[in-house]
Amino acid sequence: MRLMERQGREARMTRRRSTSTRRKGARSVVLSRVIWIVWTVVTGSSIAGWIIPGMPLVGPLIQQVLGNKTVNEILSDERVNKVIDLAPDEAWQGKLGFLKKKLREHQAAVHATSGAGYQVPTVPGAQVPTYPGATSAARVAKSAQTIRIASYNIEVFGTTKMGKPWVVETLAQVVRHFDIVAIQEIRTQDDQLMPTFLAVVNADGSRYDYVIGPRVGRTISTEQYAFVYDTQRIEVDRSSVASMSDPADMLHREPLVARFRTRSSGAGLPFSFWLVNIHTDPDEVASEVDVLAGVFQVMQAARADEDDVILLGDLNANEHQLGLLGQLPGITWVVSGITTNTRKTKTYDNILFNRFATSEFTGRWGVVDVQSVFRLTMDQALEVSDHFPVWAEFHVYESAPMQHTAQLPGYFFQ
Amino acid sequence: MSDVTVLARQLQDKQASVRAQAAERLGRCGDAACVAVELVRACGDEEEVVREWAVAALEELGPPPASSLEPLCSLAAAAQELVAYWAVTLLGRAGPEAFAAAPALVSVLETSPHPAVRQRAAWALGRIRDQSAATIAALERVKSSGDPRLARLAAESLDNDRTASDFHSRTHACG
Repeated sequence: MRLMERQGREARMTRRRSTSTRRKGARSVVLSRVIWIVWTVVTGSSIAGWIIPGMPLVGPLIQQVLGNKTVNEILSDERVNKVIDLAPDEAWQGKLGFLKKKLREHQAAVHATSGAGYQVPTVPGAQVPTYPGATSAARVAKSAQTIRIASYNIEVFGTTKMGKPWVVETLAQVVRHFDIVAIQEIRTQDDQLMPTFLAVVNADGSRYDYVIGPRVGRTISTEQYAFVYDTQRIEVDRSSVASMSDPADMLHREPLVARFRTRSSGAGLPFSFWLVNIHTDPDEVASEVDVLAGVFQVMQAARADEDDVILLGDLNANEHQLGLLGQLPGITWVVSGITTNTRKTKTYDNILFNRFATSEFTGRWGVVDVQSVFRLTMDQALEVSDHFPVWAEFHVYESAPMQHTAQLPGYFFQ
Repeated sequence: MSDVTVLARQLQDKQASVRAQAAERLGRCGDAACVAVELVRACGDEEEVVREWAVAALEELGPPPASSLEPLCSLAAAAQELVAYWAVTLLGRAGPEAFAAAPALVSVLETSPHPAVRQRAAWALGRIRDQSAATIAALERVKSSGDPRLARLAAESLDNDRTASDFHSRTHACG
C-alpha cells in the first residue's frame, strides 16, 4: 500500500514536472517571439521614423498608434525593467538586459544622427556657391505642434568663417532646422556678421531674425551670444533681452537671457519661456556651474507669470560635472551619454530645465552630427565648428506644471 | 619637422593671411601643446583674426610641456594683456609642475596693470600650490583687495595651499 502510494506520488510529481517544463518551454517560445518582434521593430526604421516624423509612412504611423507619448516614455527604464523581471530565469534576464543595452545604444545613435532633410552643401574642390541666395535647399518642413530649440557653439564665428561660403551655407542649413538657435562664440569686432549671416539663412525665403548680446569677457578677446529665431513661429519680448548682471564677477561671460513665445493659431496658450545662453570658462567650470545654479533660480523668480526657464549652451561639462546646477530640485538635462564635440571625445553642450515646470518637453532631443549629415571629412567638419549643435523639442502650447512630491528619494537626480 | 611645428613657424610670417591661416589650423589640430609658447606669442598679433584663433587653440590646450615653462614665465610679464593672460593661464594649468614659476606669478599678481591678468595669477598660484612665505603674503595682501574676483580667487588659492600643507603634514606624520 505504502509502495503504491509512493509510486502514485512520484507519478504525480513527474506529471507536474513535465507540465512545468512544457509551460516554461512555451513561455520561452513566446518570449523569443516577443524579443524577435521588439528587436525587428527597434532595429528597423520604426523607432527612427517615430523619432524623425518627417520619415515617410513609418514615422507618422507609429506616432499615430502610440499617441503623443515619446520614445523615452514608452521605453522608460522602469517599463523595460518590469519586462526583464518577468523573465523565467537568469539566462533570459541576461538576454533581455542585453536587449535593453542595445536599445539604449540604438536610441543614442538615432539621437546623434537625426537630421532628415539636410542638403549636402558644396564643399571645397567642387563649385563654391556665392551668397546670399546661393542655396537651393528646399524649405524645411516643421511640425505645427512642436518647436525645436538648439544650442550651437560656432567656434570663432567671425570673418574667417564668413569668408568660406560653404561653411556659411552649412551653418545656415543647420539654423533652418530649428525654431531658435542659441549661438555661442561670436568673435569679431565686425557688427555686420550677424546681418550678413541672416541674409544667407533667409535666402530660401525663411524669415529668421536675431537678438545679440554685448561683447563679454575679461580680456580684449571677447565673445557675443546671440539667439536666432524663426519669426514665423516664434516671437521675442525685446524688452526682456539682457546680459545678466554679475557684480561679483563670478562668470567669465555673463549669460544672455531673453523671453520667447510661440506663435500659434490654435486655441491653446502659446508656450512662453526664458532662454539663458551660456559659455563657461574651461578653466573655471566647477565654480561656474555652481554659480549657474543661482542664475537658474534667479530666472525662475524673474517673473511671476513665467515658470519655464531653459538654460542652454557650452557648459564645458558633461552630465556628471554639473555641480550645484545639476542638483537643483527638479532639474533635468537632455544630453546624456553622448558626445557633443566634433571629434566625438567630449560632452560639452547641453540644455537644462525644470522637468516639472517645463512639462512641454516632448522627450525628443538630439545632437546633429554635422560631419555625417553633410558628408564632410573631419577636417571640413572642424572648419564648420569644433562643436555639434544640440537640440530639444517642446510643445507649442503651455501645459500645466506636473505635480510632484519633493520628499521622494532621488528627487534631485535625473 | 611636424605639421604643427611648421604651422607654429608660419605664425611669425610677414603676411597676415599666412599667420591667420596657421593660427586657424593650429586651432583645429586638437593637440598643439608642443607649440604653446608660439600660440601665446600669437595672442599679441596685430591682426584680430590671428589672436582669436590663437585663443581658440589655447582654450583647448591641456597642461603645457615642461620645456615651455621657462619661456611662459617670461611671457607672463609681457605688456600685452592677452599674451600675459594666456602665459599665466598655462602656468596654472601646469599645476605643481610649474612650482618654479611662483616668484614670476607673485610679481604679476602685484604689478600687472591688467586686472584680468592679476586675477589669473591669483588663480594660478592656487593651482601650483606654492606654500612659500612670499606667495602666501602676496595672496593675503590681495585678499582684501577692492576687486571682488581677485579677493575671492586669492582666498581660494590660500585654501588650496592650506589643504596642500595639511596633506604634506599628514604624509610626513605617516612616513
